[in-house]
Amino acid sequence: MKQSKDPFEAAFEESPPESPIETEPDPDADTEIPISNSLISQPIHTNEEDNHVKNTTSINTAITTKNNNKDDEEDEEEDNMDVELAKFPTAGDPHKMAKMQAILSQFTEEQMSRYESFRRAGFQKANMKRLLASITGSQKISIPITIAVSGIAKVFVGEVVETARTIMKERKESGPIRPCHLREAHRRLKLEGKIFKRTTSRLF
Amino acid sequence: MSNSAAGTSSKTRAASSQPSEPSSKRRRGVFQRELQHMMYGFGDDPNPLPESVALLDDIVVEYITELVHKAQDIGSQRGKLSVEDFLYLIRKDAPKLNRCTELLSMNEELKQARKLFDHDEENLKKAYDDDTADG
Repeated sequence: MKQSKDPFEAAFEESPPESPIETEPDPDADTEIPISNSLISQPIHTNEEDNHVKNTTSINTAITTKNNNKDDEEDEEEDNMDVELAKFPTAGDPHKMAKMQAILSQFTEEQMSRYESFRRAGFQKANMKRLLASITGSQKISIPITIAVSGIAKVFVGEVVETARTIMKERKESGPIRPCHLREAHRRLKLEGKIFKRTTSRLF
Repeated sequence: MSNSAAGTSSKTRAASSQPSEPSSKRRRGVFQRELQHMMYGFGDDPNPLPESVALLDDIVVEYITELVHKAQDIGSQRGKLSVEDFLYLIRKDAPKLNRCTELLSMNEELKQARKLFDHDEENLKKAYDDDTADG
């Protein structure tokens, strides 16, 4: 089927891409399980392999939440999944590709859906451009800056959400993440120094 | 908990000294749709709570604001914001740095590929025109 390009590739185009994420519930979600076999033949995008921390943590999180989540409200549409995961920009590392193939082939449906969301989700370039322009006060924000800040922000969101999930596990709570978890995660990240402080030096 | 919330919102207001969206209410819709999918991808519920999304939206906007202000401080000598400033700011944070450099190099590759494609197209067109002109 003729589909748009891989959202990562599309996001780098000069013209802002259409949002690849649709929120219509997909009634055919159950039929998408055998997709994982067809994915294996395509060169695997090793995007996540470079960020070992992020990769391992995100997959562990997916597995953990698979055990925690009891509800089946899967609203993610899976029509474009095979195309999206098939058109990886090749990094040309056979070991990593083999590793990813091995991992991907064993994903359950929920894990695959979550992985798809993880790969496809991203900030809109237009929104980011507007926000950056409003912060800096200047109108011209170059494209690489937009791309860089979008990537940084996405990794940051990942850190906060994963820390919040860790906190929930410590408190033995389940269900959706609540604002109190996010605030605690934000506080912990601040202690680790991952969040920029308003003033660099204080007296005490 | 309320202290950090008040602290966060006041920081957001203090940080956005530029004339921009004046009310914090409008900021809630800045990244809402994308954030929902992102939170699900990173381990949240398929339907995250709206207040969680709103809070995360504020956190992200504040983070980006801080990042940009710091980059401006660094690059103020040059007078313009450049990507190197951001890369310098996140140098200690390995996942972010790797992700950033990867994205930027992919962008370069795509630009080169597109340039090559346009160049090839031009050559083909020229060859075709020459053929039709000769014939």
